[in-house]
Amino acid sequence: MILTGWEALFFWVFAIAAIFAGLLTVMARNAVHSALFLISSLVSVAALFVLARAEFIAGVQILVYVGGVMVLFLFVIMLVNVGAEERGRDEIFNKQRQVGASLLFCLILVAGLLYAVNKGSVGLQRQNPPKVEESGAALQGPEDATLAKSATGTSEATRDTERVAGSLYRYASLPFEIASVLLLVAIIGSVMLARTLKQEASADDVDPEVLQEELQEHPEVGKVEVAS
Amino acid sequence: MLTHLVTISLLLFQEAPRSNLSQMVYSARNPDISKFLVVGAILFTIGVAGVLTRRNIIVIFMSIELILNAANLNFIAFSRYLQGTGNVNAVSGQIFAVFVIVVAAAEAAIGLGIVIALYRNKETIWVDEIDLLKW
Repeated sequence: MILTGWEALFFWVFAIAAIFAGLLTVMARNAVHSALFLISSLVSVAALFVLARAEFIAGVQILVYVGGVMVLFLFVIMLVNVGAEERGRDEIFNKQRQVGASLLFCLILVAGLLYAVNKGSVGLQRQNPPKVEESGAALQGPEDATLAKSATGTSEATRDTERVAGSLYRYASLPFEIASVLLLVAIIGSVMLARTLKQEASADDVDPEVLQEELQEHPEVGKVEVAS
Repeated sequence: MLTHLVTISLLLFQEAPRSNLSQMVYSARNPDISKFLVVGAILFTIGVAGVLTRRNIIVIFMSIELILNAANLNFIAFSRYLQGTGNVNAVSGQIFAVFVIVVAAAEAAIGLGIVIALYRNKETIWVDEIDLLKW
């Protein structure tokens, strides 16, 4: 795979946008700003997915990550926000020595990863010599010529999503079902974790007056105090 | 001066054989799979740095999402690469990416539920103040 022309330009634009938005996610003082920068990083990576001809994954990324997970994050931030933005720089990060050690570790990590990518891409190129002219119609099979053009006439519809779906149900149907069970467990688990004492009592059919009396007699039940 | 510019621009557009610098420029003008992997590695490291250095537990969760997203980028890049080589089942990388997204969504739901329960009990989201299991 080799990107050429405008694809190459857009690759660099979105790659740099993703990296900078990721950096700002980690460095932003306010957690809401962090979430917004993470959203822009995710959208840029979705654009990179489109450049790699994975339109379905790009759509899933936008819908699930940006539309679902990040909205959940924003809700939780607004539930628990404690005004971290007024504090100084050393408050949002750990202690100085810890930050230094972890940055050193990250430097070693990225150096090793980039070295491995460099070494490995040489081997990949030797195994499959890259072809520049594979973009466009050459990649698509002859059956794709019958597919309709898009409304703007600049691109053709592909069978990519169809191929993903076929492969997903043919080769990965058991993991697919396991994933649905995982999501069910996650839903029930988060509801169980996040409910309050009052909701718990109503689920256990405790009379609210009894609960009120219990709370007056033993106030430590209402707010679980942790011995430190 | 003008001749230098002409030589440099000729170097940019000529095919092999290339010198070291013009080879770098050529590979930057035509990014291949290794550039995708480099972007993924950098995003992964940024996420690791966020997990290790931040105190806010929600930002730590967001850094974990960044790490998972970098892994997805690698999956997609290799899927695209295998499509170019004519491999029969090249879209399995995209299927892996779907499962990574599913697990990330489940992890975020559970993790944020834990954060809310923790905030209700301890009224803090700084990880260095959540030291129940430390003795």
